[in-house]
Amino acid sequence: MSTLEPLVRVENVSKRFPADRHAQVHAVTNVSLHIDHGETLAVVGESGCGKSTLANLIIRLHDPDEGRVLLKGVDITHLDPREIRPHRKTMQIVFQDPFASLDPRVRVGTAVIEPLKVHAIASGEEAEERAGNLFELVGLERSMLRNFPHQFSGGQRQRVCIARALALNPELVIADEAVSALDVSVQAQVMNLLLDLQQELGLSYLFISHDLAVVERIAHRVAVMYLGQVVEIGPRRAIFENPTHSYTRRLLDAVPIADPHQRRTRPLLTDEIPSPVWGRGQGPELVELIEAGPGHLVAREN
Amino acid sequence: MALLALKDLTVTFDDLTAVDSVSFTIEPGETLGVVGESGSGKSVTALSIMRLIEMGTRAKIERGQAEFTMPDGSTIDLFTQNEATMRGIRGNQIAMIFQEPLTSLNPVYPVGEQIAESLRIHERLSRKAAMARARQMFDLVRIPEADKRIRQYPHEMSGGMRQRIMIAVALCCGPRLLIADEPTTALDVTIQAQILGLIKQLQVETGTAVMLITHDMGVIAEVADRVVVMNQSKVVEQGPVDQIFHSAKEPYTQGLISAVPRLGSMAGKDDPEAFHLAGNLQ
Repeated sequence: MSTLEPLVRVENVSKRFPADRHAQVHAVTNVSLHIDHGETLAVVGESGCGKSTLANLIIRLHDPDEGRVLLKGVDITHLDPREIRPHRKTMQIVFQDPFASLDPRVRVGTAVIEPLKVHAIASGEEAEERAGNLFELVGLERSMLRNFPHQFSGGQRQRVCIARALALNPELVIADEAVSALDVSVQAQVMNLLLDLQQELGLSYLFISHDLAVVERIAHRVAVMYLGQVVEIGPRRAIFENPTHSYTRRLLDAVPIADPHQRRTRPLLTDEIPSPVWGRGQGPELVELIEAGPGHLVAREN
Repeated sequence: MALLALKDLTVTFDDLTAVDSVSFTIEPGETLGVVGESGSGKSVTALSIMRLIEMGTRAKIERGQAEFTMPDGSTIDLFTQNEATMRGIRGNQIAMIFQEPLTSLNPVYPVGEQIAESLRIHERLSRKAAMARARQMFDLVRIPEADKRIRQYPHEMSGGMRQRIMIAVALCCGPRLLIADEPTTALDVTIQAQILGLIKQLQVETGTAVMLITHDMGVIAEVADRVVVMNQSKVVEQGPVDQIFHSAKEPYTQGLISAVPRLGSMAGKDDPEAFHLAGNLQ
C-alpha cells in the first residue's frame, strides 16, 4: 500500500444528463478530490447538488463526460465491463433504502453469498461460513442468514446491506444516505457500527449525506457541493469550525441544533437554489478553488 | 383554560392498538412538539383530533375525549360531534398541514384558487373577494412575485413554495390550532429553516397554537415550548422543552436524546466519535 497515492483520486470529472432536446442538467462539473486510505470523506449538499452522481461516477455506475477516476493509481475511467470487474471488489456501495436494495424473494444469506460466487472467492460451505462471520461482524445472528428481507426491521436490513458490501473485503465503501431513512436510535447504532468496522478493517468511506450533524460525527474530511461543483473541501474541523464559503455557512446556519439552549433566530428568507439545467453549449461558471488553510480549499467569491 | 385537552385517547386498528391512553393539553398560542420514531402513534393522534382517522380506514377511536375550547369560551368534545359540526371546526378552528405538499394540493387547479376555495366554502366569500384574500395570504406566507405565482399550478413550484401554499391554505380561515405533521421533513435544510422561521413568525402575527409532529429532535429543540415524547403508542414523557433535553427522567427519552447528533458537539475533536448511547439504548 503506497502511502503517497490516495485510494481514490477524482480529477476534473463532469457529468451531464439530457433534460430535453435543447437542454442538459449539469449534475457534476469539474470536480476533483481524493479519498485516503482509512479515512471518511463526507460529501454534503442539498437535493440535486450532484453528490449521488459523484458517487456513481466513482464506482463507475455512470461514465463521466470529462475527467478521470483513479483507483490506487490505476485509471478506471475507460475500462470495459470485464476489465472493471476486479476493481469492483475494491469499491462497494450501500444505498439509502434497505427495502429497495434487497430482493424480497431471495434469502438474505444468498444475497451475501452471491458476490462471493460471482467473484469466485468462495462457494459452498466456505461461502456460508464467511457469510455467517459477516453477519456476526455487523451485529446480526448467524441463524438469520436463512431469513427473507421482510423478516427484518429497517435497521437490521441496512446491516444486511453492509454485510453484503463487506463480503468482498472492499477498501472503499460508499454510503449514499445510508443512515438517512433510519429512526434516530437505529441511525446512531448503525453509525457506531460503521465507525467500528472502519477501525477493525481499515476501511475508507465516501459518506454521502444531506445531514450535517451526522456528517460532523463521522467524517475526517468534508466536501461541500453546490450546483454540481465543490465549493469548499477540507478537514472536518476546518469546515465546521471555520466555514469560509458563504454557501457552507448558510448550510450550517440552517441546521436546527438539538439543544433548546442554542436556538437560532431565522431571518424570513425566500431565496432558493437556481436550476442546474442549461441550454446546449452553455453551462455554469467554473469555480476557482483557493487555499484557506492546510488542506482546506474554498471557491473564490465575488 | 387549555385550547385543547386530550384525555385518554385510545385508537385501534382491528386488533392493533395504535394509540394507547394518550393525554396532553395544548395552551392557546403555544407550540407543542410531539416527537417519536416511526409507528409511535404521532400521526394517528393528530388525525384523531381532526376526526379524520376513521374515514376510509379500519381505525376506531375506542375511548377518550378531546375537549376543545371554542372562541365563545364554551368547550366541546370533538369525539362526540357529528360530521357537519366537524366540517365547521376543520379549517376554521383546527387546520392541518402534512409532510408532502405535492400530494396535498390538487394538480389541476392553480394554487391561488385552492386557497380561495376554502374561503368560499368556510366564509362564503364571493369569488372575487376570496381571490383578493388569497392574494393577501400570499404576502402573509412571504411568497415572492405573488401576482404571477397565484396563477401557477403546483408542479410549477418548488417544494418549499408548495409548503408555503399549504400553510396559506391552512391559515386562511384563521384557525386557533395548526397541526403540522412533519411539515419540513421532505424539504432541504435551508428551505426547512425558512419554513420553520415562517411558522414561528406567523404564530406571533396570528396567535395560532401549533402542534408540531416530527421525528427530528433538532426541529423540536428549535421550535417547541413543551414536548410530548411518544413510543409504541404511548406517551413516555412530557414536559417543557428544556427539561426533556437536559433532564429527561425516562430511560427511553434519555436513549433518544443520546442518539441525536448535535451540531457543534464535535468542536475541538480531530477524530470521529461513536455515540455514547444512554438509557434504554445502552
